[in-house]
Amino acid sequence: MLRAAGLAKAYRAPSGAPIRVLDGVDLAVKAGEVAAVTGASGSGKSTLLNLLGLLEDADGGELWFGDERVGGLGRSAKSRARGRWVGFVFQAFLLVPSLTALENVLLAARYVGRPAAEARRRALALLDELGVADRRDHYPAQLSGGEQQRVAWCRAVLNDPPLLLADEPTGNLDDANGAVILDGLRRRAQAGAAVVVASHHPEVVAGWGAVYRLRGGRLEAA
Amino acid sequence: MLLRMLRGYAFTIAGIAIGVGGLVTLGAMSERIVRFIEGGDRFVLGQISVAGRGMGMGAGFTAGGLLPAATLRALAAVRGVAGVQPQVMLPLNPSVSQFMTLTQELVLGLDLAVPMPNRHYRALPVRAGRFLREGDRRVAVLGASFAAARGLRPGSRLALEGASYEVVGVLERMLTAPDRFVFVPIQDAREQWVAKDRLLQTVLASGAAALTAADLNTGAAVGWKDGEEPDAVALRIRERVPGVNVQLPSELSGLLRSSTAFFSALLVGIGALALVIGGLSLANTMAAAVFERIRDFGVKRALGATDLQLAREVLAESLAVTLAGGLGGVALALALGAVLDGWAARSGQELFDFSPRLLAGALVFSVLLGAAAAGYATRRIVALSPAEAIRRGA
Repeated sequence: MLRAAGLAKAYRAPSGAPIRVLDGVDLAVKAGEVAAVTGASGSGKSTLLNLLGLLEDADGGELWFGDERVGGLGRSAKSRARGRWVGFVFQAFLLVPSLTALENVLLAARYVGRPAAEARRRALALLDELGVADRRDHYPAQLSGGEQQRVAWCRAVLNDPPLLLADEPTGNLDDANGAVILDGLRRRAQAGAAVVVASHHPEVVAGWGAVYRLRGGRLEAA
Repeated sequence: MLLRMLRGYAFTIAGIAIGVGGLVTLGAMSERIVRFIEGGDRFVLGQISVAGRGMGMGAGFTAGGLLPAATLRALAAVRGVAGVQPQVMLPLNPSVSQFMTLTQELVLGLDLAVPMPNRHYRALPVRAGRFLREGDRRVAVLGASFAAARGLRPGSRLALEGASYEVVGVLERMLTAPDRFVFVPIQDAREQWVAKDRLLQTVLASGAAALTAADLNTGAAVGWKDGEEPDAVALRIRERVPGVNVQLPSELSGLLRSSTAFFSALLVGIGALALVIGGLSLANTMAAAVFERIRDFGVKRALGATDLQLAREVLAESLAVTLAGGLGGVALALALGAVLDGWAARSGQELFDFSPRLLAGALVFSVLLGAAAAGYATRRIVALSPAEAIRRGA
């Protein structure tokens, strides 16, 4: 489902010197598999997820979603590919503050041409499933961290994306809310999605996925 | 949804309203000056103004000597002349500087037996009451600013040179010189003239000059027949009627324009200043509002929004926001204008002309500029990767 070969990324330090964050990362995650990427702070976990989700361009390497080579697509084509293939779960939730919980969830359907009525039915069902249906008309600022992450989760899976990328999905949550999100990730994988989780804590996916460690810009089995 | 969106942009809308308000207010001052100059120009191009040669009592366009009845008859006999209306033009307050002829308050006595010869003002527009009629005595029709400054309306009484006049009409605001005129029958104006001018009193009392009331005219408005060139008719008068100052309409127009050149330059400056200040304020506010949402745009692009989809969203929002801000700015300017004009009206002035073309132009300008600023900001944002946009907006 997801295949990356030789992904490389460098940033420039304020002095102008290049900082090589990823230096030839290879990764393949099949449908129904979970891959956990661990590593120290600053090791490049978030950068790797950004490259895998087409949120950032790699300096080198190739990337495929299924049989589609997506690394070299243009800006708009990448946007369409993201809408069609990828669901994101961010550590900081990244809900749009001017939209209600329901509208935030529906945002995922807006740009992929999904029929509004059907998307709304699905969004309400997801909010209900995650226990935040009564908060659907609340704005992000009126929600707790756990509620915001549940809403963000509903947004990530609204279109049943074949690839889920979760960057520290439980980093800002208490144990109970963290468990809800992890359970959701496991069930998505069981339903056939490829899941990549970046986390400081490899134990969060212990027993149900492959664990990799990022070190020196390269990915190695933990 | 739209109202909620606009509420979310409340500060942006307020910022745009202030910018557009400034633009419209300065623009309205500029329009006011344009109307003043254009109105005067239109008036002088509609008639040939003739005054008696010399340094007399008359004011405004007829600041000259006497224009006796015999001269009026000579004027009427010139080929191409269609009508000669005797006039007496007097400063309301002779102590006021005679140099400010475009803004001073004047009494204009008209001979109602002769139709108004001015091709552009066959009748003056009356807002309340009526205009002067032949046979009227001791009645007055007031220019709008004159009436407003003194709180006069039809039925009010006005004292002129010790005599009481009934106000029978008030003119529409014309935003030019007649706004500060008092129109009276010419017989009454002649009496006022004699009352004001000690020299004239002495001459009349001495019986040295064979003057009758019909000779007491400061000037005349002369019309021309259809097909005649006004300047050619004026030149003919200059050649054939001695003892008069005759102004060629084109010369007078040029004179008026050169005397108002300062105002013309001022209004260009005001207009340019308004565009720069209002435009910069609006563009900066709108662009800042878009940049403020950089993280939201990053998230939307992460969810699959293409550049075009984002641009459409931003454009629709910016149109709604700038239109709301533009309308708010127009309302602000109208309110400010009403307050300042109310204050200025006490001295017979009007500072603003909120013309429909100005208001429509300001709205179109604000919407287009707002959309352009939002488009520019969006272009800058979509050039970033979604991850970078999210990082910068964090």
